[in-house]
Amino acid sequence: MITVHLPAPLRDCCEGASELAFPAPSLRAVLDALEQRHPSLHRSICDETGTVRRHVNLFVNINHMRDCNGLDTPLVPGDVVTILPAVSGG
Amino acid sequence: MANRILLCIGTKKGLFVAESASPRRRFTLRGPFGPGVAVYSALVDTRGTPRLYASSCNPFFGMKVLRSTDLGKTFKETKSAPAFSKEDGRAVANIWSLEAGGNRKELWCGVEPAALFKSRDGGDSWEMVSGISNHEHARKWHPGNGGLCMHTILRDGKRVHLGISTGGHYLSEDGGETFAAANQGIGAGFLPDPFIEFGQCVHKIARHSGAPGRLYMQNHGGFPEHPGIGVLRSDDHGHTWRSIADGLPSDFGFPILVHPHDPDTIYVMPLEAPTRTCPGGAPAVWRSENGGGSWKKLTQGLPKKESFFTVLRDAMDIDELSSPALYFGTTTGQLWFGREGGERWECLFDSLPPIHCVKVTVV
Repeated sequence: MITVHLPAPLRDCCEGASELAFPAPSLRAVLDALEQRHPSLHRSICDETGTVRRHVNLFVNINHMRDCNGLDTPLVPGDVVTILPAVSGG
Repeated sequence: MANRILLCIGTKKGLFVAESASPRRRFTLRGPFGPGVAVYSALVDTRGTPRLYASSCNPFFGMKVLRSTDLGKTFKETKSAPAFSKEDGRAVANIWSLEAGGNRKELWCGVEPAALFKSRDGGDSWEMVSGISNHEHARKWHPGNGGLCMHTILRDGKRVHLGISTGGHYLSEDGGETFAAANQGIGAGFLPDPFIEFGQCVHKIARHSGAPGRLYMQNHGGFPEHPGIGVLRSDDHGHTWRSIADGLPSDFGFPILVHPHDPDTIYVMPLEAPTRTCPGGAPAVWRSENGGGSWKKLTQGLPKKESFFTVLRDAMDIDELSSPALYFGTTTGQLWFGREGGERWECLFDSLPPIHCVKVTVV
């Protein structure tokens, strides 16, 4: 299973859950699963073209996806995907 | 009997709702709703039980539409917000306008990049209006500094007028199925040929139901080499336009309003083009009572100096009481209130976040 940690502003999209768990072989598969199971959560992470929103960061364990293989980063059971908004200014 | 005035104030940090009994002696404020997220458009839909709508334009998590069924005491997100199809290739970057449609639950919504969406269920689902969103000009429009936004939707029976910055004025005469550019007389002072078919930076368009065919426009003016292109009027349903800027201190500005009971009375807020702030640091609303033939400066109660704010395109409105009051919000977070059609001004709230839009309704 992959554990997906959600930031507080997005928990209303999945009945208040702070984390979700399901099997997925890649980061892209995580987003595909979210699109099926929690479409409003997916819309908050990705725009309608499927691109991860500019100010949303996806981490695999402690590594940003851009430092891995992007959405094609492979996952293994036990991995943790953390979704966080970028740091904000005023 | 109408007895309450509701003000929706969209700001950089969320939506505020102010409310007063009809003498308008005191306004109470609540909010922010959608806290921390910019609101660029609001609508008080008075068809049937009043509903309030606001766009919530989140730079992190995308666009939402907020809806209230209790006169702005609480808001919830609608089930979905306008979005392009995955195949379209565009992504909604902002929601600039929300307007009531023809049927009870129909809403129209203008977005950035410029496109039009329609909801038939009060905002829970949306479909793109392809007649304008996929118009042959659509991929040729360019954004100005504010983004490529569809900010004005005016419905007039089968006619629909759209204002797009930077696209110009588009007119449908078949209820919104098809649209044509209608920009004759509207200048684009930032182009080598200012009088082009489309691509003008229209700022706002207004009309009055009592003057069929007449429209007023605040266009992007402020070009010394093209004087007077900023404030315009049409008397033929928007097919042709002429300047009514003579007598104003600047033809640059963003909002334009029509008096609710007199189609000849209009209001603008001239700004200095280089700074987009009040001329000489002294804000003034200017009123014409003859359809733009002449103008009068309204300043009583407004600061006389050292005020360098901007009033954005949707940040001025007028209520519909027998002696209507004007309201405008500033980018410095002040909400000003002008009794007797703007004759006497007072500051209702002086420390809100930067204000993007102000919508007032009597319920």
